[in-house]
This record gives sequence, structure tokens and C-alpha cells, in this order.
Amino acid sequence: MQGNGFKIGLVVFFFALSAWYLYPSARNYFIQQRIDGMEQQEREEYERENLQRIRNVKEDALKLGLDLQGGMHVTMEVRTDALIRELATDVDQTFEEVLAAARATADETGNSIIDAFAMEFERRDPNARLSRYFRDSDAGITRRSTNGDVSQYLLGQADNAIDRAISIIRDRVDRYGVTEPSIQKQGTRRVVVELPGIDDPERVRNLLKGTARLEFHLMAEPEELARALQQTIAWYDTQVDTADAAMAETADTTAAPADTPAAADTSAVADLFEEVLDQPTNPLLAVMQPAGQGVEFGLVSEQDTARVRELLSAPAVQDFLPVGVDLLYDANPAGATEEGLEMYYLLGVRDQVELSGEVITSARVDFDELNLPEVTMVMNSEGSRTWARLTGANVNKNIAIVLDGVVYSYPTVINRIVGGRSSITGLGSRDEAQDIVTVLMSGALPAPVDIVEERTVGPSLGQASIRAGFISVMVGLGLVALFMIFYYRTAGLVADLALLFNIIFIFGILAAFQATLTLPGIAGIVLTIGMAVDANVLIFERIREERGTGKTLKAAIDAGYSKAFSAIFDANVTTFFVGAILYSFGVGPIQGFAVTLMAGILSSLFTAIIVSRIVFDYMVVKRRMNVSYG
Amino acid sequence: MRIFENTDFDFIGNRRKAYVVSGILLLLSIGSLLVRGLEVGIDFQGGMEFVVASPIELEPVAVRGELAAVLGSEPEVKTFGAGQILIRTPAEGDISEMQNRIVEGVSEAFPGSSPEVVKTDVVGPRFAEDLKQGAIWAILGGLLVVFVYILLRFEWRFGVGAVAALFHDVTITLGIFSLGAGVLPFSLQIDQAIIAAFLTIVGYSLNDTVVVFDRIREYSNLFKTETYDKLVNRSINNTLSRTIVTSGTTLLVVAVLFIFGGEVLRGFAFGLILGVTIGTYSSVFVASPVVVELRTRMKAARR
Repeated sequence: MQGNGFKIGLVVFFFALSAWYLYPSARNYFIQQRIDGMEQQEREEYERENLQRIRNVKEDALKLGLDLQGGMHVTMEVRTDALIRELATDVDQTFEEVLAAARATADETGNSIIDAFAMEFERRDPNARLSRYFRDSDAGITRRSTNGDVSQYLLGQADNAIDRAISIIRDRVDRYGVTEPSIQKQGTRRVVVELPGIDDPERVRNLLKGTARLEFHLMAEPEELARALQQTIAWYDTQVDTADAAMAETADTTAAPADTPAAADTSAVADLFEEVLDQPTNPLLAVMQPAGQGVEFGLVSEQDTARVRELLSAPAVQDFLPVGVDLLYDANPAGATEEGLEMYYLLGVRDQVELSGEVITSARVDFDELNLPEVTMVMNSEGSRTWARLTGANVNKNIAIVLDGVVYSYPTVINRIVGGRSSITGLGSRDEAQDIVTVLMSGALPAPVDIVEERTVGPSLGQASIRAGFISVMVGLGLVALFMIFYYRTAGLVADLALLFNIIFIFGILAAFQATLTLPGIAGIVLTIGMAVDANVLIFERIREERGTGKTLKAAIDAGYSKAFSAIFDANVTTFFVGAILYSFGVGPIQGFAVTLMAGILSSLFTAIIVSRIVFDYMVVKRRMNVSYG
Repeated sequence: MRIFENTDFDFIGNRRKAYVVSGILLLLSIGSLLVRGLEVGIDFQGGMEFVVASPIELEPVAVRGELAAVLGSEPEVKTFGAGQILIRTPAEGDISEMQNRIVEGVSEAFPGSSPEVVKTDVVGPRFAEDLKQGAIWAILGGLLVVFVYILLRFEWRFGVGAVAALFHDVTITLGIFSLGAGVLPFSLQIDQAIIAAFLTIVGYSLNDTVVVFDRIREYSNLFKTETYDKLVNRSINNTLSRTIVTSGTTLLVVAVLFIFGGEVLRGFAFGLILGVTIGTYSSVFVASPVVVELRTRMKAARR
């Protein structure tokens, strides 16, 4: 019995420690229960009054993973290739080719695209200098910089870009208003964003990736645009003659299968043919209504935008367009087709950026006379000056306000605008306006980002998983406990007590290390319940054996504990190692599993060896009871 | 209650029968792995997965047909628990757009289905490559660490025996995953969770093996006159009760996980059920016999 004072002290200490760490979780649970039971108004009042307290409790409570509470886990990667192009000046054909080759190499080998870029460049021409594309006097990159210097500079810029991207993304998430978001850098190029309780993943995706490249452009001269339109239509007319013959031939062969029901999904194609055959005019006019007055080029239905883009990108057509003019879509529908498809104007916009979003100092959501949402913006003094000059020089002309390559509005300038005010109109919803403000105010990302991984769990599925996990723990615990009593009688009861302590300690450890409870984590706990009794099973079996050799109960217990120890230790250490390896290589939910597995091993070792021993010593030595090992 | 008290089964004497059983299972597994392969999840090859819930029962085959027209290529569609289907597409294009097309496609084709996406998993090809590397390192690292540990704590023959048992367990479990894919009514995709399950199997199988080895080590000093066969056999028999009880309780809880743990954990729980069963078998019929073989053969060779 000697030393049991210390053992009891240890158990009490760990129990108290677990209780201390689990107390906030319990309080959080009861507060949430109370809030859930309240009426709407009462709830809001209560939440307002106890805001800080609720938050503090939640902060310290055991956290649930996104798979349990619902939410979004997004891994993003900064596109280094786009960054390289962004930093380069005087981009030419060679540059594009080298960049494309470097991208392919980097994708294949997984190496850095910057190294691949420099190597590919030198491979093509060992004497060529990267410095002809990159100049940055602040970073000491001049015409005379070596290729090594430039590579180094690019690497630095890439590191810098990821850090800037993280702070911009953090700013956007904060503005969006998510409770307890987590934004972390992963490796050198990735950002992991975790957002609990998201109900509109699409909006969040746009927000995270959003470049919000706001630009003010002048627009094409109406006469030259009209001329280009006529030329384009005329050119496609001449193309029709040759295309017609080919088209008729194809139509013949497709006519037969189109009649069979099996070809239902090709009906769209058949429709298209019919349309063309009915009015064998011109492939462009089949999908675009020409406009040709003012800055409008044509009107296109939403399903034909890709086709029109394809038709207009023909090199001959590009030559008809006035120099320095691009065709961009209007963000607002200008009408609808008979089938209810929305129609959009294609507008002639000069490609020169007159003013960009960087000059915006503040932006906010407003509503116009018709109560439609708009974003009103204020520019800094330099922007205001340019804006005043620009509007002053273009009275009675249109200026396009372009966001991410789409024209949101192209008002006609009535007066010179001083004070640097402007607005984006034609927005779909208040949310959209709000998101534009968010992205404008957080600034533009240094380079486009890709979502390379996303895991979103809806709140209902999360709830179902919590329920499933809870039931599994309870049923598992109940069955194992019953079995132990059934098989080992009194000793089984003691093992069950140890198991109960074990569960408390596992949760205590999780709370203490601020681990996150995930569904695989719960699976780990359930698994631990089954495996935790192993140590006691080993000991009890040993005690039975020792009793079989004729030892007294006390001697058998002593021998059982001491002889079973080496097996228990070796068996658990190996599983613990596996848990540690899973933790270091796994991600997200798998780490949750590894953590509970390791916590379970530690606490089951302690409870099975110490807690059960204390109870047996008390029963056998103090009370002289005859403990049954079944 | 005592079930396997003082048993005296001749495990070692009958080990050749066990070799036949294991040999057949291994051949079947390797054969299936070579011919049928494994169903690799999006974690390791990239792709998009949407779990769509609907109040009406959606027929996967019908949904696949309808979506093929909308998406331009045929997606994989499976039932995913009650009232839910899982739709899997390649990771191409915009996530939001893909999701909208699926939701619109399903709601138009099946009136009253009011589909709702309750779970989205998207893994890009490059990210999948990274996850694959991570999984491979985790498995290799896990095997190496346990092997080194066994070497340090026991003599090398035991290390070989334990690792042989591990390969046996993981190969057969993988083999059953390969054979059962598409046949069993739940997902047997190899994803991150399954890798975790496999490593847990490694840990568990080892745990079982180590208990027997520990007894062999103890008896080697106690019964020096006994033949090695007998000694090992006695060790297995004397730990048999524990082996069965622990396997029983563990099997109990993983069965609970399989039944109550929900669709997300089903494949994972299934892997554990297989692993625990096979791991228990192998600690008795593979690991210890290998030690015996090594020992007796080496002795014979030395003479």
C-alpha cells in the first residue's frame, strides 16, 4: 500500500486539471442550451448583454472541427506564374513561351516555377539576360543585374506576395464577418483559411479569390466602332458561302439520329443547326444582334457569350477593330430573349487604363433613387486630379467603369467632376455591393490565387455527424462496460471505473492542448474505448494465472501488475508512435484522429495501471474483500 | 467467466495449415490489386465531390444520365446514406459554376427534389499529388519506426515476424477493399481517412503481436529445457484469452462505429473491422510461426 498516497494525489491532481480545462466547455454548452431555448428578442438581448462573457467561454471551450460544426476549409495557392508576368515589363513572345514551358516543368516536377523559368530562359540563350524584363530600382535590379540576382529577386517577391496575400485575405474575412476564422500560411506558397458556419460558399469563394481590379477606361469612338461592326459582319457573310456547303452536309447526316428519342441530349445541337438552316445568313448574326450606335457593338444572350467570343477572336476580325479597343461585356442585362435568357451588350472599350482602383481611399454601399444598391467611392488627391482632368476632357463622352474585365457602368460625362467621387452601379444585390466594397478596401491581391483544396460541410450534416459521434461513443462505452462486468465481475467494474476516468482525461487533454475535436477524432475516442481496456485485460488475465498457481489474492495482484507491465508498455508505445507519425504527416481531420489516439493511449495507460490499482489495494488490503476476477 | 482458460491448442504444429489459408488470401488480394486495382478517392487523384441531399429518393443511375447532358461528361454518382447522393466530377473549372450546374440540373430533371449541397470536397491535381506524397511518407515512416522499435526491444527475428504480420494484414485488407469496391453498398475509396485506418491497423496488429512476443521472451528465460516450438505454443495459448477479449472489445467498438458512425466514417470503420480481425489472426498464425521458422531453420543450418 506504500506509495498509494502519492498515486491518489496524482489521480486527484489530473482529475482536477481535467475539470479545470473542461469547465469552460461545460459552461459553453449550458449557455448555448439556454440561448437556444430563448425567444428571438430575448436571445438578442441576452447575447448583447453577455457578449464578452459568451465570447470568453467559447474561446476556452473545446473546439469542434469544421466537419462537426459546419463550415469551409479552403487551401489557396498564389499563382507564381502570374506574379512573374505581373512583375515583368516589355513582355514579348519569347517571355511568354519560356513562362509556359516553365509552368509545364513546374507542374510536372513540383519544383519552383521561378527556378524552372530561369533555367528554361538560359537554356534557350545562355547569353540572354533576365534583367531585360525585370527592373526594380528599390530592390537594386537594373539592366546590369545578373540572372542569379533576378532569380533571387523573384523569389523574394514571391515570398512577399504570399505574405501580402495573407494579410489581404485576413482583412477581407474580417470585413465579411466570420466568427473565429483561422488563416494560416502552409509551406511557402499556400494559405489555409478555415471559416466556421458559412452558409454561402459561392460568395466566400469569390471574396477570397476576388481581384477587384477596378479600372476607369475611355470608350471607342462610335463611328469607328460602327465601321468595325460592318466590316466584321461583311467578313462573316463571305465565310458563310463556304461554311454553308459544309453545314448542309453535316445536317444531312445528323438528321436521322436526331429523330430518335435517344438523341434527346443532342437536341440543343439540332436546334442550333435548325436556326442556322432557317436563316442561313451569317454565323455571327445567329448569336449576336448588331448594335452599332454609340459605344455598343452588339447584343448577346447569356448562353452565347462563349460562342461570340470565339467568333470575334478570329485574327481577321481583330484587325477590323480600332487599334487599342477591346470588346467587353456589360454587367447588366439589357433585355431578355423570348425564352427568358438575359441579353448583354458587348461594348467597345479603350484598353488604356486611365485610372485604377489604387486611388480609391474609401468605398461604401449606398442606394440610388430607385433603391438599387451601388458602391460610392472617394479617391485620393492624385486620383481626384486625374479624374477631374479625365472627365473635363471628355464631356458628352462615355467613361467605362470596369471591374475584373466586366463593364459595370459607362455613364456619359455631363460635367467635369471634382472631389474624386465616382460610383459603381448596376449591381445585382446588396451582398454583391458589400463584397465589392470589401475587396476594394482590402486592396488587390498581388497575384491571382487558385483554390487548390476546398472542403465544405453544411450545418445539417455537421449536426448529424455530432449525433452519430455521440451515439457511437455512448453505445461503444456501454457495450464494453457491460462486457467487462460480465466477463470479469467485480474486477470488470473496477476496469469500467478506470475507463470512465479515461474518457474524462482524454477530453481534459484535448481541452488543455486546445485540440480541435473532429469526426475522425471521435472515431479515435471510440476506438480508444475498445483498446483502453486492453491494459486491464492483460493485468486481469495475469492475475487469474497467478491465482491459478496458488498465490494469495494480494500476491497475485502484485504479480499481475508487475508482470503485465512490459507487455502493456511495448504494445502501447508502438501504437503511440503510429499516432505521432499520423499527426506529423496528416492534415486536418486526420490530425484530429491522431491526437485523440495519442491522448487515449496516454490516459488509458495511466488509468488502467494507477486508478484500478488504487481501487484494488483499497478493497483487498484495507477492506480485506475477496475481489472476483470472474 | 472464462472462455479460453488453460487452452492447449497446437498452433505451431498446425502452422502449415495457416500458411495455406494466409497464402490463398494473399494471392487473392494481390491478384485483385493487380487486376481490379483500388478505387482511389479524390484526395489522391484530384476531383470534386458534392453530397446532395434531397427529400425525395434520387436514383444514382438516373441522376448520372441527366447530369451527363448538363456537364458534358458523365459524373460518378452513388448513394451516400439515406436521402443523399454523392456526385464526383473531375477538378476542372470553377467550383461554384460546377455546383450550380449540378443543383440546377438535378432540380430541373427531378421536380420536387429541391437538391441541397450538404458537403463539398474539392482537391486540385497538384494538391492531390502532395497528399499522396504525405500518405506514402506516413506509411513508410510508420513501418520504419515500429520496425526499429521492435528491433530495439526484441531480437531481430521478432522484428521480421512482426513486419511479416503487418504486410500480411495490410495486403489482405487492401485486397478486400479492392475486391469489395463497387460490390459492397458503401464507399471503399482510398482516401486520407483510410490511410489513417491502415496505420491504426498497423499499430493494433503490432500491439497484439507484441503481447505474444513479450510472453515468448519471458518464457525463454523460464523454461529453458523446452523446445522452441512448445515454448512459443505455450505463450500463444496463455495469452489467448487476452487476445480474444481485447479483440472482442475492439471489434465491438469498431462495429459500433460502422453502424452508428454515419456515412462519412463507414469506409474507415470497415477498414478497422477488417484490420482488427486479420491483425488478431496474424499475431497468432503469422508473426509467431515466422519467428519459429527463422529460429529452427537457422539452427538447422548451423548444424
